[in-house]
This record gives sequence, C-alpha cells and structure tokens, in this order.
Amino acid sequence: MDWDQLELNPKVIAAIKKALHIYQHKEEFPAQHKKLGFGCPVFNRLLQGGLPLVGITELVGQSSAGKTQIGLQLSLCVQYPYEYGGLESGAIYICTEDVFPDKRLQQLIALQHQLRTDVPQDVIKKIKFGNSIFIEHAADIDALFECVTKRAPILLSRGMVRLIIIDSIAALFRCEFGIQHSITKAKYLQTLGAKLHQLSSGFQSPVLCINQVTDTVDERGLAGTNLDVLARVSPALGITWSNQLLMRLMVSRLARELSRDTHAAATGTVVRTLSVIFAPHLPQSCCHYTVSAEGVKGAE
Amino acid sequence: MGTSRFPPSIWGGDRKRSAEPLSQLLLRLMSLRGRGLWFRRPERIPDAWAGSGSPTSPSPRAVELLFAAMQRHLGSYPLSPGVRVKLVSAGFQTAEELLELKPSELSREVGISKEEALETLQIIKRECPVDLSRFASVSISGKKYTALELLEQEHTQGFIITFCSALDNIMGGGIPLTKTTEICGAPGVGKTQLCMQLAVDVQIPECFGGVAGEAIFLDTEGSFMVDRVADLATACVQHLHLIAGSHLEEEHQKALENFSLESILSHIYYFRCHNYTELLAQVHLLPDFLLEHSKVQLIIVDGIAFPFRHDFDDLSLRTRLLNGLAQQLISMANNHKLAVIWTNQMTTKIDKNQSMLVPALGESWGHAATIRLILHWDQKQSRLATLHKSPSQKEATVLFDITAQGFRDVVVPSPLSPPVEPSGNPRKRSRDGREEE
Repeated sequence: MDWDQLELNPKVIAAIKKALHIYQHKEEFPAQHKKLGFGCPVFNRLLQGGLPLVGITELVGQSSAGKTQIGLQLSLCVQYPYEYGGLESGAIYICTEDVFPDKRLQQLIALQHQLRTDVPQDVIKKIKFGNSIFIEHAADIDALFECVTKRAPILLSRGMVRLIIIDSIAALFRCEFGIQHSITKAKYLQTLGAKLHQLSSGFQSPVLCINQVTDTVDERGLAGTNLDVLARVSPALGITWSNQLLMRLMVSRLARELSRDTHAAATGTVVRTLSVIFAPHLPQSCCHYTVSAEGVKGAE
Repeated sequence: MGTSRFPPSIWGGDRKRSAEPLSQLLLRLMSLRGRGLWFRRPERIPDAWAGSGSPTSPSPRAVELLFAAMQRHLGSYPLSPGVRVKLVSAGFQTAEELLELKPSELSREVGISKEEALETLQIIKRECPVDLSRFASVSISGKKYTALELLEQEHTQGFIITFCSALDNIMGGGIPLTKTTEICGAPGVGKTQLCMQLAVDVQIPECFGGVAGEAIFLDTEGSFMVDRVADLATACVQHLHLIAGSHLEEEHQKALENFSLESILSHIYYFRCHNYTELLAQVHLLPDFLLEHSKVQLIIVDGIAFPFRHDFDDLSLRTRLLNGLAQQLISMANNHKLAVIWTNQMTTKIDKNQSMLVPALGESWGHAATIRLILHWDQKQSRLATLHKSPSQKEATVLFDITAQGFRDVVVPSPLSPPVEPSGNPRKRSRDGREEE
C-alpha cells in the first residue's frame, strides 16, 4: 500500500489526463495504442492489432482446439522488432499440465521465415528465438504463485520478457478445490488475477491465460455469459475468474460455414474458429484458421 | 492559491490556539472572499446562510454557524474510542484542527495507524457541513426546503441521455443529475461501453436536449480504450448533424460548431487508478478538481469493485472504506449537481442449494447507490437492462444493443427487408441486420 500517493496531492491531480491528449500523443501512451501482433494478418485484423499490452486476455476452448499452438506462436511473435508487431523481448511460458512441447517449438522456429513473409530474412535470422522463452512447470497452486510473485517480476524488471503465458490456468484450480472450498478457491483466483494485473500494468506486458471448458448440463450454468446454449460448454472457473479479464477469446473445432472453405474441405485440414467473446474495444466477431507446420494461419 | 493542497487554515497555523474574536474572524473571511476562494457560485447559497446578508458577503449569522461548525468538539463525531483518546491526548480538540493535516502527518502526530488516520479524516469531512477549502455549495441540517420547492427542483433537474430510448424512458429521461447510479453486470455485457457512451453524451449541447457538461473517468480495470471512445464520439457528432440538418434554426448549427471529436475528447478527464489507495486518494481530491473545472457534470468510476475484492483480510475495514467512499461520492453529487456512476461486478451467491448472480461487495453496499441498473443476457443472447432500484421509477426491463456506433436501442428488422448476405468476416447472425446502418 503506497501511502506516499496520498500525500502527493499535486502529483495525483496532475496525473488526470484529457482523453484528447491520450488520443493524439500515441507514443506516450503505448498501453492504449500499441498491441502485440499475432503474426497473421487475419488475426490482427480481427483483434484490431493484436493483444492489448495491459490486461489479462483469456483463450478458452476445448482440448485440441489449438490453444497451445496459438500460445507458442505468440511467444515467437513477441521477439520481433516493434515495426513487425513484436515487443523485442522474450516470453515466460508457465506449463501446468503437460510437458512443454519442445519439438513443436523447434519446428516452428525453423519455419518462421515461411510464416512471417512480411519480415525480411536477415531480421529473422538475427533473432535467437530459443534463448528468450523461459519455461516454467508449476505442478500445484503454490508453485504457480511462487512463479508469478517471485520469478516473473525479476524477468520482467530486467526487460527479458514482455509476455506471460499460463497454460492452462484451470488445471490447477479444478483438481485441488472441491465444492466445499469454493470460497478459498475464489480468494486464490482473485489474488492471482490481481497479481497478474499488477504485473501487466506495471511492465506494460500482455498476459495470456489459457483456460479449459466444462460441459453445462442446463442453462443456469451459463448464467451471466453470452455463450450459445447449444454449444453446451462454458469456460471453467466461473464468474470469479471472468471478472478479472479484459478480453476473452474462444477457439473451437466447430467450423461454421465449412462449405465456404472448399480448399480446406478437399485437403482434409481441420478448420477451426476463433471468436471474440468480449472485449472493450471489439465487436463480437470470429474468423477461421488452420494449424499447419509453420504455425497458426487465419483463413480469409 | 494552491488548490492542490489544503489551504492554510484561516485560524492561523498553530492548532492549539484558542478561538479568535468574531470580528477578526469576519475580516479574515472577507479577505478570503476577495481571493475568490469563498463564493464560486453565489446562486447556490441556501437561504439559511444568506439570511440578512447578500449572496456575495456572508451575514454575521452565517459566520456564526460556520464558526460553530468548525469548533465542534471531536467527542461528538462517531470515532472509535481508542482513536478518540489518542487524538485528545495529542492536543486535538476541534474538527478544523484535524482538517489541516494530511493522513500521514496525522498518524505520525497521534500515534495511530495510517488506515485509521484516513478513516478518521473521512468521518470528519463527511460530518463537517462546510469545508473552507472546497466551498461551492452547502448541505447542512440548518437548511429548510418545503416539499414543493424540492418538487420544482426535481422537475428542472437534468438527465444525461444514453441514446437507447427504451432505457431512457424507463429511467424517466436518462441518468439523473444529483443522484448516484450503479451499473452491475457480468463481464462483457456492456458496462464499460455504457460508461464511455455517457462520457460522450454528457457533452451534448443543451439545444439538443443534453446538459453540455464535462466528464471525469476514473478507471480501475484498464478497460478504457480511447479509440473506441473516439468512434463513439464521431458517431454522436454525425447523429447530431443529421438532427440539425432537419432543423432550420440557427442555434442548432452554431452549437455544433464547437461539438467535434477533438472537443469531446478534450472534455473527458481520465485517471487510471491501480489500487484502492489511488482510487480513494483521487476521490478525496476530486472536490479540488471540481472547483477548477466547474463544468463537470458526470463522474464515472469504472470498476468500483475491482480494487476492493482482493487484498482485504479485514472485511470491516473494507466496509468502512467503502462507506466513506460512497459518502464522498454522494456528497459531491449533491453539492455540485452532477451525476455519479459506478460499475460493479457480479458474484455468485449460494442460496438454498441454488446459485444466483448478485452484485458484488455485499448487501450493505446495495444501499450506497440511489439507482441500480443491472445488465444481463437472456436465453436468446440479447442484452437486457433492468432498472432494479429507483426512488421514482418502477422496476422494468428493456432490450438494448451495442453497435459500432455505441450504446443503442435494438433495431427490429422490418419483415419486408430482404435477408442480408453475410460477407467478408463472418459475424454472429444477430448482427447481420445492422450492417446496413
């Protein structure tokens, strides 16, 4: 609790800004204007630039929908220079369930030049992708807290990382807490959310949390969300976690309007959908994408 | 005049002095008036104060009342006994002696914790009817109005429209000034969108039915996106140009000359609060800001629950701080005749083995706002707004929509219009009808 804030009356009053100032001076307010690009023009168009720099973004979906693939792609995208949508820094990747897919990461690194056709070859060759991704395994909640409260701030303060990915956040909370511990679970979730929020706004670094879905038996489980009842799935962790989020994206293998993409249907690649469920600056919209050897690519 | 600090006490620096004679006090007050500190809005002085004097010079009776208020003994305030004993033993007797100090100075002098110091100052400020450092208008128990006068006041009070006519209708015209409104809802339902829309709508010129005021936006969650506000502002300007085009009167055209994207954005004052301390500090200092920017008619706190829902082991402290915050916001709404809006989260409540969504921050917080609006979804994924609590309107629910232009009514597509082909980026079915707008 920073009590000095209360004493610095002139400083606090002076910190009030006119919205016009924020709008016009884009360089001074990167949190409002800059975004972390996805390395794919379709995704960047859908999200009006990419991930916002301040705030927790959630990526939720069924298993094998492609969430980890998107996470891996982002951890490579963040290392590009600013003019190519990156943040010139690394990423910290916290795994909670499976072992980190190292082979897949190496494959992605090798094929970056095929994915990022907008970036010149020499720029790609200069970046040492493998060196800047810090992998942590957190087997239980205490380890996750330790990582978020102790290790991540060190890396962030040294400028070595500017992206935090947690894959996945539901895994730990769902097994350790039964129904009778829902209050403790809520407290942990709120504290974790607050800590992530603090790191994100303090270091202007996006946080991506990957979440799982649960089946809903009846409509009450969907109370308070705008998700399709017919889909019968809703994000895990409930409204306590949803309140911490800035933005929620959902991925699924239910390809809508599959007939439009005849090429994909002919070759047998699975077409997936990425939808914006809520965001303060985006309408509800979606796009299709495929997962190939070089990464995640949106389909026009 | 340093409006950003508490101005020097008119009694002089040493708090242990005894009271001055009334005549000397009057002279000091006159000098303050000369510096413009005293009367910002003479028309707001209630009758009890003006008495035999004119609006620009205080009558002796007014000064007497002021004197009495400032000299009120600490023992009459609802402070906790331990704190009171410490204050008295440190030499503090009256309210005005405390008001000169900042919380950290107070805690150092008296030997209480900083939280207690902040709480004590909040209580004193709330109960103290006149605060010399921020004199704009007075609300004091000595004021007497008849119910008829109050009714007339109610009729003339302004509303801030939301551009969703259904919602404005059930609220009696829009978001009312001088009252506090709470907007609750699940994540993503449109609370921040409504707040951003109102920050634009408060600036609509009077000839179009607006209040021509400015807005303050206190953001605790970081969900204020200036590009989105720019879109809303542009849409509002276009909308008003359309209306002005159909009116041939000059005043409409003239009012629109000053109403542009730049002017709208320059009248929204934005502050990002990273934790509850910053939020409390900013609200504490808002009255100073309001003195300098007298055209502000709307204060928005986006996410009043967010900073208070973690980090608090002592729930009773949280309740006290929240109550103090609510009181300050309510008194600002009354004194400066502006509307105060805050957004709240929803939380699950288990009741008889059934879980339901209720607004966060507990039952006691429910009394803080005069009007409560709950936004939610129905089975068919449409957005609904329910007026849950209002002193003058009955409970009702309406549909609303959020489009690229902002917060609007739901447009029911007429049965004769041809079905629209979805093109380009696939969008959800319910939005197709609006692509023609």
